[in-house]
Amino acid sequence: MSILSIELNTLASCLLFSLLTCLVYFSFVELQRRTNKVWLNPLLLAILAVIALLLNFSIDYTEYQQATNVITWLVEPAVVAFGFPLYQQIPAIKSHWKKILLLLSFSCAFVVSISLLLTMFLIAIPEIAVSLSLKSITTAIGITLTEQLHGDSSMTAFAIILAGLFGAVFGIKWLEFIKVTSPRAQGLAIGAASHALGTATISQLSYQHAAFASLALILSAVITALISPMLITQLLTLF
Amino acid sequence: MNIIYSLSAIGISLLIGYVLNVYLTGLPASLYGMIVFALLLHLRIFNAKKIEATIAFLLRNMGICFVPAGVGIITHFEIIKQHGLTLVAIIFVTTFLLLTLVGVLYQRFEDNSKNINNTVSQK
Repeated sequence: MSILSIELNTLASCLLFSLLTCLVYFSFVELQRRTNKVWLNPLLLAILAVIALLLNFSIDYTEYQQATNVITWLVEPAVVAFGFPLYQQIPAIKSHWKKILLLLSFSCAFVVSISLLLTMFLIAIPEIAVSLSLKSITTAIGITLTEQLHGDSSMTAFAIILAGLFGAVFGIKWLEFIKVTSPRAQGLAIGAASHALGTATISQLSYQHAAFASLALILSAVITALISPMLITQLLTLF
Repeated sequence: MNIIYSLSAIGISLLIGYVLNVYLTGLPASLYGMIVFALLLHLRIFNAKKIEATIAFLLRNMGICFVPAGVGIITHFEIIKQHGLTLVAIIFVTTFLLLTLVGVLYQRFEDNSKNINNTVSQK
């Protein structure tokens, strides 16, 4: 009897917390759709709102985490779904693929290393350093890699959102300022540094922005997934 | 019907991803799944037309999957209080370094190949 009531309890809290999370998230999606402001990012706002709710009602994070496991399971199929834009980019990759692959491999290795080293020098917590070094790629893949490399998923999620927001809000202005004016170069840069958030924002500018940003988004994620396990493990042995 | 078709296509790719992960290790299963999904679409084993709409919906709304992970930041209250500003500064600086690197290098590559084309056509 008591086992049954415990199970009913877990089921009820699963339903409650998952529905609540959906409600909060989709309200902010609607808010952003109506206001059309990049910085009103639904993921960021939903995280902050749920944190406020948990603190307000003194609910333990582990309880919330277990209750919303259903939502977190969806990360894996979500990563698989990126295969579709990757398939759409195959013709674009064919024309300049050697140059683009080389450029992105170099940039990904650079940003992973410099973020990891900076964090180790300034904060010196390996888990946080792993998280920050994986912040330039899309959330689904960043979090999957963080777990594989024993980083901290919540820190990665937060860092990824910030990197996305910086690029989405200031990216084009900065690139124009340093005289990077080609739509293809702008798209590639923002897709590489600010993943889906940046890509979604600049896709409104032109078809070329959209195509090159999503190309960079996908390739950076795959390249980072391939090189970071080796690179991060090696760099961490220095400390 | 297309929704079921799309979700099964994703499910099958993910399953193959799990098998590859067991035998090849290295990448996470979901990443193998992503590459398998792209390949099967390219080989026209999956019908891209039937999948398109569902994928667009999934990609637009996938942010919801990361809310619970992001909320976990509250378990790091101490780190944020101590290093919050440094964390944001590192993210800010490295993001702009990456933007600059990729943007400048690709722009230079494009300008160079334009110049080469010009000299070739002048000859």
